[in-house]
Amino acid sequence: MKNHWWKILAVLLLLYAIIMGLFVPLKSGILGLTPREFKTDQKITTHVKTYNTDFTKGVDGSSIAYIKINDKFKLYADLVKVVDKNTLALDFTLPALLPSIQKKWPYTIVVNDKKHGAFVRPDAIVLEQAALNLDAAISNWPKQIEKQLLFPDELNFPFRPILYESIRNTFYHVPLWFGMVFLLFGSVIYSIKYLRKPNHNFDYRAKSLTSIAVLYGMLGCVTGAIWAKGTWGTWWTFEEIKLNVSAVAMLIYIAYFILRSALVDEEQRARVSAVYSIFAFVAVVLLLFVVPRIATNSLHPGNGGNPGFGGEDLDNTLRMVFYPAIIGWALLGFWLGQLHYRYSILAERLNDEFE
Amino acid sequence: MTSFNAILELIKLELKMEWRMKYAIAGAILYVVTTVFVLYTSIQNEESTPWNALYWMLALFIAVNAITKSFALNKSGAHLYLYQLASPIQIIIAKTIYNLCLVFLLLLVSFGVFSLFLGNPIEQIGLFIITLFLGSMGLSLVLTFVSAISSKTANSGVFMAILGFPLIIPIFLSLIKLTTITLQSEAGEYLSDISVLIAIDVILFGFVIILFPYLWRD
Repeated sequence: MKNHWWKILAVLLLLYAIIMGLFVPLKSGILGLTPREFKTDQKITTHVKTYNTDFTKGVDGSSIAYIKINDKFKLYADLVKVVDKNTLALDFTLPALLPSIQKKWPYTIVVNDKKHGAFVRPDAIVLEQAALNLDAAISNWPKQIEKQLLFPDELNFPFRPILYESIRNTFYHVPLWFGMVFLLFGSVIYSIKYLRKPNHNFDYRAKSLTSIAVLYGMLGCVTGAIWAKGTWGTWWTFEEIKLNVSAVAMLIYIAYFILRSALVDEEQRARVSAVYSIFAFVAVVLLLFVVPRIATNSLHPGNGGNPGFGGEDLDNTLRMVFYPAIIGWALLGFWLGQLHYRYSILAERLNDEFE
Repeated sequence: MTSFNAILELIKLELKMEWRMKYAIAGAILYVVTTVFVLYTSIQNEESTPWNALYWMLALFIAVNAITKSFALNKSGAHLYLYQLASPIQIIIAKTIYNLCLVFLLLLVSFGVFSLFLGNPIEQIGLFIITLFLGSMGLSLVLTFVSAISSKTANSGVFMAILGFPLIIPIFLSLIKLTTITLQSEAGEYLSDISVLIAIDVILFGFVIILFPYLWRD
């Protein structure tokens, strides 16, 4: 048992990542408003389509909604009506002047009730005022009672436009790439061990870990392609630097296996491929972590000016599943590597016996 | 008819031999993929021009051709003699410096010939020359090392491309970005790109020095 605890840990972490990742619901969110463009100085009604909500049960008329003009000024809805499970009708009385320096501008809409909590959609409603007059707008702004937002105590993943449910792929796509880098690093460790003390087992271990790392890389490509199809609308795009560099990283390691197959002498094969694999790892680290950062444009977070994992992008609920998922996938990779290693040793022994 | 049969048999023999060296065909495919990829990355940048892409594509082949023969001596017994004369670190540094000068010179010549036939769109010659120098450094570092590795195989020409092309791509991407900057008349933000290139060169140099003695052993 002493030597197997990490395998059990891998299974538990992955089970946790799969169960939490697939079953924790998404936060309720706003899909859109119809109609969404209005002129000021009139009474309006707009329908809000929401996602992952049921307004017919458990809301008890606690719904409120407001348009956020800016940090200081909010315009509350006069009436919030439940149309069906996922639709609310909002009535607003728009004043003639808005305390804003924009003539026509998309504003944020916020909906809240005691069951679903608050959901926000930026740029959801476009208001156009006939004239600009900040002072008059502020002095004529309707007096409203500030309402407290209600937050139910529930576990859910953030609702992000474009991503929607696919945000769950954070626990599968991203950790696969992390796992690949860990496995390659493990392979480099065995390559170094081989160079210091030529023992064929080290060579087999390095080769096995590299095989599993390439498998992880390919799975990373596949999960990424599926994600890209859903969010960017295409399986693969060559305009995305990270896709390109990961393709090159795959090529570097395919070259590793071709090199191995071309070297006949066992000792020479082990030594030369150990040297190549260390050098290749350096190149791959440069490729995956340095080159994308100098790229001018990228759709991935953390590159080309996009925010990385931190701040807004990864909220605490995601993090709670994301970090264990990374450890789980990496441990599973090392386990697979170990099995592959044992298989190669046995295959080698069988070969020797038959010859 | 018999001569026709003989030709058919010879074609079959060729096929069989090709099949026996499966890595060679895999290598050829990888060669195609990486070459097209390098070409693609050089034309993909919107501010880049065909001149830029063609120039660096040519540079790649010049460098590979110039450096392939670096370890041709290995085939004869001459390297044993070298082995007794100098330490492996001295040998790799000497070979890399020689290749750096060779590649840099060839790149300058091809820049001249390019300008003669295709015109010279480079606005900042000084920065371009620095880029060429840093590029030759990276190319000669990687390719000299790779030629040491591929000299261990039976088909060193193919392996030069299979192993070398993907490893060169990080250097290549930053070279093309820098050249794109030299195409503009006023100096843009280039310090970060140059420092990335220098950092890549230094890191690769360090690893070549550490790893080469293990290759040199037999």
